Amino acid sequence: MSHHDAIVVGVGLAGLTAAARLAEGGARVLVLAKGVGATHLGPCTIDVIGYAPERVERPGEALAGLGDGHPYAAVGRDGVQAALDWFKGVMAPYPYVGGLEENLLLPTAVGALKPSAAVPGTMAAGDLREGGEVCVVGFRALKDFHATLLADNLARAGIPARAVELDLVPEGRADVNSLGFARAFDAPAFRSEVAAHLTARLGRDERLAFPAVLGIAGPTAAWSELRDRLARPVFEVPTLPPSVPGMRVFAILRERLRRAGARVILNAVVHDAERSGGRVTGVQARVGLRDVRHGADWVVLATGGFASGGLELDSRWRAREVALGLPVSGAPGPGEERFRAGYFDDHPMGRAGVRVGRDLRPEGLDNVLVAGATLAGAQPWREKSGDGISLSTGHRAAELILGQRAAAPPTEPAKAEA
Amino acid sequence: MATLETDVLVVGGGATGAGVAWDAALRGYDVVLADRADLAEGTSGRFHGLLHSGGRYVVKDPVAAEECVTENAVLRRIVPDCIEDTGGLFVTTPDDDPAYGDRFLEGCRATNLPGEEIDVAEALRMEPRLNPGIRRAFTVPDASIDAWKTVWALARGAASRGARILTHHKVVDLHVAGEAVTGARLRNELTGEELDVQAGFTLNASGAWAAQIVKMAGIGGVGVIPGKGIMIAMNHRLVNTVVNRCTMPADGDILVPIRTVSVIGTTDIRAADPDEIPVTQDEVDQMLDDGERLVPSFRDARALRVWAGVRPLFQDEKAGDGEAVDTRDVTRAHAVVDHVARDDIGRFLTMSGGKLTTLRLMAQDIVDAMCRQLGHDRPCTTATTPVPAGGDSHANGNGYYHLGSRLRRREATLQDEQLICECELIGRSRLEETMRRRGTTNLDDIRRSLRLGMGPCQGGFCIYRATGILHGVGRLDGDEASSSLRGFLQERWKGVWPILYGDQLRQARLDDWIFQGLLDVEHMP
Repeated sequence: MSHHDAIVVGVGLAGLTAAARLAEGGARVLVLAKGVGATHLGPCTIDVIGYAPERVERPGEALAGLGDGHPYAAVGRDGVQAALDWFKGVMAPYPYVGGLEENLLLPTAVGALKPSAAVPGTMAAGDLREGGEVCVVGFRALKDFHATLLADNLARAGIPARAVELDLVPEGRADVNSLGFARAFDAPAFRSEVAAHLTARLGRDERLAFPAVLGIAGPTAAWSELRDRLARPVFEVPTLPPSVPGMRVFAILRERLRRAGARVILNAVVHDAERSGGRVTGVQARVGLRDVRHGADWVVLATGGFASGGLELDSRWRAREVALGLPVSGAPGPGEERFRAGYFDDHPMGRAGVRVGRDLRPEGLDNVLVAGATLAGAQPWREKSGDGISLSTGHRAAELILGQRAAAPPTEPAKAEA
Repeated sequence: MATLETDVLVVGGGATGAGVAWDAALRGYDVVLADRADLAEGTSGRFHGLLHSGGRYVVKDPVAAEECVTENAVLRRIVPDCIEDTGGLFVTTPDDDPAYGDRFLEGCRATNLPGEEIDVAEALRMEPRLNPGIRRAFTVPDASIDAWKTVWALARGAASRGARILTHHKVVDLHVAGEAVTGARLRNELTGEELDVQAGFTLNASGAWAAQIVKMAGIGGVGVIPGKGIMIAMNHRLVNTVVNRCTMPADGDILVPIRTVSVIGTTDIRAADPDEIPVTQDEVDQMLDDGERLVPSFRDARALRVWAGVRPLFQDEKAGDGEAVDTRDVTRAHAVVDHVARDDIGRFLTMSGGKLTTLRLMAQDIVDAMCRQLGHDRPCTTATTPVPAGGDSHANGNGYYHLGSRLRRREATLQDEQLICECELIGRSRLEETMRRRGTTNLDDIRRSLRLGMGPCQGGFCIYRATGILHGVGRLDGDEASSSLRGFLQERWKGVWPILYGDQLRQARLDDWIFQGLLDVEHMP
């Protein structure tokens, strides 16, 4: 058994942010997670709010219109700004650009232009608000990125675009995923080869789109080298999981945590909470066959939504939050309509999650804060708000706890670890 | 308008129509087959996949049972690579009357069905997930059959004998001259072009849609009650043997292992329109409860997809059927409707009723009837002529499909090419070859041919890839790629939203993440 100032459950963007910020603020932090989280799945662009329901150009201004039930209501524009500022500082090794003033418009792998508030610098040249000529570079051996489809759809949207496909095959294998390509791009020889194949084939004013696989060990080395050698703007386009940009972000935040002294245990499945009055005094975590109790003054729940397994719906249509057993709001009951017939419709089930107050606390619990996709009230994929919510609520949760600790230091002496 | 001339026009490209085309082509007729959509897109592609031993009917409908006994054996000979020899069990669950087992055995003997009682312990050894409370168990030669593969094999066989298979061609009118049907006007549903078919004979094999065709010949009083049945495909093979409840046929009493899944079925609800058969929550709940009775913890397993099919249950006012209310009581036996005797309309026959297991016999009966009317003496040879196997045969030593064969073949070429669909083990060359051979740009058509996107992730990963490949090889322009991708997502959604719970909800949300959060398909141009 152990006792910590704060336990953070989950290592997606929300959990990593909360834990890093808490540890920096002097708290002794334990992170428990079932496995690596959402970072490895998503593009890791910080989409704050992209559709509400029309396309949003100024995300900072749109936040206020989202209503009281939305997770951003607990954070506010200033809170989102603070989280973004903190994040951009932490991400110095993999710099992000953008902010709350205006959304960038970056092409997705199918050529839709998606609004994002802040994006990695390796993607920033893909901002096509002002148009521009694009050459999409693809690799036939990479089945998760189709350059001609992307170029064709950009052209249909009025952006001059064409595709060049290269037959370079890392390690001579026919089937290489994004991570395999990223490792290949870590090698200077492969970068040179790619540059050599492209040099003679580029138009004068073209900017170059690559799948987001330009290196994993050094997050910007391959990108900057290609940009310099080809003497044109180069940008990455995120594609199917595994997400190389997400892995870069994960690695940086994880290192940040390590340096700040936080402890991380993966394969730890939190499945129950020990309660005393309105407080959670500890959590039960299963690690392999062992079931261990960890005590804490504060708990940040950042286990994700239905996609990540933080929330579950059983076959009798009962929803539950799996780690602490918190009530789930907004899930239609048995016999009620959960989904509509059109895939892109607004589904009644879409906003289900754990409802919290302005202080991110669920009703009746004093020392539990909820962050990220577990929260009720948002439709992250429809409105393009997922990473914005995760970052800002994770950051806000840490700030709230640090503020409380500063105001009233814990009376109970911290116990030594067992 | 373009014109085609042919001996025989077959209306409907399901199991019956494909069987009829194969039979007539084998007898030397020139055949045109027309279907308004893709082959096996109606009832045939929407059933549970059970090749009946006949056990289900031995008590209630011995004639249907005997037909199944015979035809089960015939299909095993002529399309073995479409069949997995799973064997079948009839089990008496704690909710069933054990005395029914005696009537069941009696019925087996009377219909020559080789059903045998085995120890419950033996049944539980065969299928460890079965309800341990079962009280009796019987083995029968049930099997599972891949309807798409079967229909495609029959159509290919017919085509190899000169038949022309016109998919996406809807019959918009029948030509009636004097007292005979002389062909039909077809409309290509993809291009809108019309085509005139002059046919010496027209065979109506359109199943649940047969009444609509009959009406075009000016014939009244024939109705089809669409009997809706829902089925749920569960991820994994919860059983490896077909499991039936040993009781009078009822809802949710069959669990069929087919390919990588097991399918529970089914219900029987009277529908108003064969094209309007939504799945309701109550029906899903009922199927899950029924599954629980056969395999405890069924509800904890992952449901992949739900769909409904419509049985072609015939009602002929002249035959005095009246208004049958319980569609399950309408006979499952098939019959050829003789429009000369009934309506004084010649060169036109309609197949009524029937089931996939007896498709060959149904085809034989209707083509025999046509030969009699034409005065031709051309005997049926389908019972002894193997249907040519497709290029994607998975046959094992004894000719049957074997579950591991796709994996075995895939592993042999693992390093040589890209795996496009990890769930169903579909390599890039297979996908490209199918796109070429079928000449289709419709991802849903390709799904039916290859099972693309039918595994646990329901297309989450492979559909973007397939769209990119289709576009890359020049079969789709950007516009078509967008609508094909969106169309696939909508079609998939229809089959998943009623069963989204547990891990499949989790999967669906991950797919949302990909299609909405990452790719933003909704806003692609």
